[in-house]
Amino acid sequence: MNSRFSSEDLEYIVSLTLSIAVSLIMGALIMIANGRSPMVGYGALIRGAFGGKYSIANTLAKTVPLALTGLATAISFRSGIFNIGGEGQLYLGAFAAAYVGITFTALPKGLGMLLAILAGALVGGLYAYVPGFLKVKYKIDEVITTIMLNTVAVLFTSYLVNYPFAPAAGKLNATEIISEQFHLSRLIRLSTLNTSIFFMGFIALFMYYLMEKTSAGYDFKLVGQNSLFARFGGIDDRKQMLIAMVISGSLCGLAGVFEVLGVHYRFLQHISPGYAWDGMLVALIVKNNPIGVMIMSIFFGALKTGSIAMENATSIPSELVLVIQSIIILFIAGERGFKDKFKEWNLRRRVGQKAGERNA
Amino acid sequence: MLKQILNLTLIQHTIRTATPLILAALGGLLTEHAGMLNIGMEGIILLGSFFGVLGSYFFGSSLAGVLLAGLVGLIVGLIFAIFVIDLKSDEFIVGIAINIFAGGLTVFLLRSIFGVKGAFSSPNIIPLPRLNLPGISSIPFLDIIFNNHTVFIYISWIFVIMTYIYLYKTPYGIWLRAAGEYPEALETAGVSFRRMKYIASIACGILCGFAGSHLSLGYLTLFTENMSANRGFIALAAIIFGRANPIKTFGAALMFGFFDALGIRLQVVGVPSQFTQMIPYVATIVALFILTRRQLTKRKRDSEKQFK
Amino acid sequence: MGDKLIQVRNVSKRFPGVLANDRVNLDIERGEIHAIIGENGAGKSTLMNIIYGLYEPTEGEILFEGKPIEIKSPLDAINLGIGMVHQHFMLLPSFTVAENIVLGTEPRRNRIFMDFKEAVLETQQLSETYGLRVDPYRKVGSLSVGIQQRIEILKVLYKGADILILDEPTAVLTPQETEDLFGVIRNLVEDLGKTVIIITHKLQEVLAISHRVSVMRQGKMVGTLNTKDADERVLAEMMVGREVLFEELHKVELPKEEVLSVDGIRARDNRHLMALDGVSFNLRAGEILGIAGVEGNGQTELVEVLTGLRKMEEGTLTIKGVDAFNRTPREIRKLGIAHIPEDRLATGLSREATIWENLLMGVQHMEPYAIWGIHMNKGKIRERTARLIEEFDIRTPTGDILAGSLSGGNMQKMIIAREFSFNTPILIVAQPTRGIDVGAIEFVHKQIVEKRNAGTAILLVSADLDEIFRLSDRILTLYEGRITGEFLSGEISKREIGLYMTGKHMDSIERGGAYEQ
Repeated sequence: MNSRFSSEDLEYIVSLTLSIAVSLIMGALIMIANGRSPMVGYGALIRGAFGGKYSIANTLAKTVPLALTGLATAISFRSGIFNIGGEGQLYLGAFAAAYVGITFTALPKGLGMLLAILAGALVGGLYAYVPGFLKVKYKIDEVITTIMLNTVAVLFTSYLVNYPFAPAAGKLNATEIISEQFHLSRLIRLSTLNTSIFFMGFIALFMYYLMEKTSAGYDFKLVGQNSLFARFGGIDDRKQMLIAMVISGSLCGLAGVFEVLGVHYRFLQHISPGYAWDGMLVALIVKNNPIGVMIMSIFFGALKTGSIAMENATSIPSELVLVIQSIIILFIAGERGFKDKFKEWNLRRRVGQKAGERNA
Repeated sequence: MLKQILNLTLIQHTIRTATPLILAALGGLLTEHAGMLNIGMEGIILLGSFFGVLGSYFFGSSLAGVLLAGLVGLIVGLIFAIFVIDLKSDEFIVGIAINIFAGGLTVFLLRSIFGVKGAFSSPNIIPLPRLNLPGISSIPFLDIIFNNHTVFIYISWIFVIMTYIYLYKTPYGIWLRAAGEYPEALETAGVSFRRMKYIASIACGILCGFAGSHLSLGYLTLFTENMSANRGFIALAAIIFGRANPIKTFGAALMFGFFDALGIRLQVVGVPSQFTQMIPYVATIVALFILTRRQLTKRKRDSEKQFK
Repeated sequence: MGDKLIQVRNVSKRFPGVLANDRVNLDIERGEIHAIIGENGAGKSTLMNIIYGLYEPTEGEILFEGKPIEIKSPLDAINLGIGMVHQHFMLLPSFTVAENIVLGTEPRRNRIFMDFKEAVLETQQLSETYGLRVDPYRKVGSLSVGIQQRIEILKVLYKGADILILDEPTAVLTPQETEDLFGVIRNLVEDLGKTVIIITHKLQEVLAISHRVSVMRQGKMVGTLNTKDADERVLAEMMVGREVLFEELHKVELPKEEVLSVDGIRARDNRHLMALDGVSFNLRAGEILGIAGVEGNGQTELVEVLTGLRKMEEGTLTIKGVDAFNRTPREIRKLGIAHIPEDRLATGLSREATIWENLLMGVQHMEPYAIWGIHMNKGKIRERTARLIEEFDIRTPTGDILAGSLSGGNMQKMIIAREFSFNTPILIVAQPTRGIDVGAIEFVHKQIVEKRNAGTAILLVSADLDEIFRLSDRILTLYEGRITGEFLSGEISKREIGLYMTGKHMDSIERGGAYEQ
């Protein structure tokens, strides 16, 4: 009862390491096929991600939206309700923050910031509430509805920035710059790393505590594992799912908020290059474990940052890391299957050997 | 102004925009009937667009482009099948992986093969041939609506009918649907459900690849990053809206194509297109809502009858 | 009867972690009805699935008409003339009867098109030939279990099967339907020369229908005998491996105060059909009230209504004097009901959770296990886990392993440990010993009676009449959603109660007209 990891966990960590290793090797093969040296490529990647204060700052800056959307995915998936609408919630949350930042310019710094953060979280949460409600009340597949609502949100914010909220200077596919007191301070010169990393750290601790240490976290998990058992045991499974969905939406909304307050200082029509999708992958890879989400977010953040450096140094297009990432996911998705096939094959081999011995 | 928006070329444009949707949706509904949902359709369309251009550019033939796109679709469909059917992976995780893979790979190859960023266009890309039906070119309305389309448009219509016949009039279609509804029942009847699911997944990949090649070789001959622009998801919407029936799905795809074409025209006259673009997505949610509600009430009524 | 048709030679089947068949031998002769019996998990279905090509054996060989063969898929089996009716029907609910019957070998027009007319015609012919009436146009999903079984048999016959494997065919049938089925089987064998293998765990059925019987235990074949040389006692001993002598259970008499009463409950099942049609009874402290009945007559729905998992349409439910109409499971638990569910995997536990997590359900928000109802107190939880594992004899090295890796009996002990630990005045116990081994059964029965002796009111729902008779102080019979009889322990025999469980008593008091047969 004392060990921190169960044997299943250890087995999984081994699989995960293997998957990542194989994917990186495949990445290396692609580099070779392109006539580049993988040593040089990966060397540049690692230096670009961790070599020096500036690089580390950039990696951490990328970690913020990944971790938030990753945690958002973790809580919802663990509760058995699948929020794939993170991208949409992120856009609306970001817009809400920008709206506050260009409208309530008279508010003092702390209060204004708080209002922007709350607005983003609230809007994101509400936008997740809709598919959540349709799911628990009418059994409408939340995977489909959240996918559809993603695009609706992206289109809606695109309308907002091009028509009612278009800046006076003309259509820029962006809002006006938010008022000065809403800007989160930058931490390292030239890097976009800002104080939102502290907010994220706090949120991550909170989510870890909620999911792993509390009775409510237990309820979320058991609902996700077997909702009928949870209901039988006295948990209101529908309510629990709905709460998980709203928390999830709020976290995605916050990811959007910090992009506006910390990075761009305005809402952009294409503010997220798919952060919520990446965040979802992060969570899926580590099976919705909050600590795993943090580690994987840094890893993915490093890949993103490092890939730019790699491109500059070796002219290998940075999109290679997307390919590597997707291969990791694929291996992880097939992890259980690979393991079963391996065990089956092993069994057959052993039986075959035994039969051979007996015949001999 | 109204005349500028609502005219015959609107119908022509509707047919054009709907074609990739129809092709992808037909593929998707096969997997839907076989009990799988492939949200990686979006990614396969994107790959199809890229490899369509690649094939056409290097082999100097649009047919080669289409075939290459179909081949890539086949491979991705096969990978999806291996993971979902044999390795028992979560279908939607695999789908997401395919989407990200497609997004990454197309841009990566665009840059490492053609050395460009964003978009690639060249006179060496041979577009799909246009078809003019001699009989109707003299009839004013039909000429605008039905002529000057790529062959693919007519082929896609034939596919709709073929898919319908396949699903509902042949034993193979019954097997495919049985594989989705109750695979063990099919297996014990002596037909491998794995085979049916593989067929569905591979067919879906090929059709999505074709859909992509039609995007990049049909009317525009170029590839741009993220060219699929959510068409995979709209195709998914069409399948849900049409309840996976080929004819109804065809109708839904046409409708979504119409709104897309309409939106572009409205934008020209200064009306935001975002709302017309939203229609497929919102419509799908509304449709899901109505369908489940109707199902619930209908079931209740049935049982009342039985107990009279 | 005559030559050896199928010979199974030293066949083993190993699943990861389980040896389901251990060097099994079996001979099936042409034209016989061969029963295979054994407890749940004895490996009967695995063996049949091997013969039908659904599983590949890990070791061993199968001889067909004396020649070794490999049956790699059901298609191979079908080609050999082997057909199987599975315990869970292999029918497509949204397809018609005819489509289901011809599935896999459809009649065709122009080689590629399905010939629907021909399918219907052949279905009708088949149905006449074998005297199994079905409507070819109906959707299967709307038909009763008995009819669905007919369709399954027709399906097998359509494929030209000479050897029919029937896996637990009577589990879902009423005694009347079982009789009909046996008639069909005799007809197939005696008049049409087919061979039938029937899997069951009901001894009376074996004696009634089979020519020979093979007994399996824990994956091994214990032996085969001629049915005329066997009796229930011999077979039971072979099945469980020792003479079954259950100890007499000690019961004490207690003052009986009413703690739960239900009146006129009506509720629908998942198909929206009326499953409970005016059920009324009461339950008193210190008694075990047994609900006897053939499965599917409303027992599941009754338990679900009482525990808040299903809504009722009419009626009242009063728990310790408090009105509990359509409360949530949580409220019902607060009112003082704990519940051992009939389907332990679906409702009673989470396989992916650890034992301690499974044992925690229900007290996770309570002191001292949750500090201020928020922070889980791992120390206290561990103490409780260890105590329950010890007290209820759950065989596991630690409470940290996943519940899914426990055996059926230990899973059930874990559920009982949890539910009994709440010390509620009322316990609802459904199918408590289904699919668990004899040793565990004895343990579970003792625990239930101890609870009763401590003054708990217990409602026992079981399809196992022996269990009902052994434990109950009072017995109610449930038939088609109504209570058809109430008896005190010792007041009625098993034979007689069977009539009440099947609505037959109605005939004798001339109320049979109210029910359709």
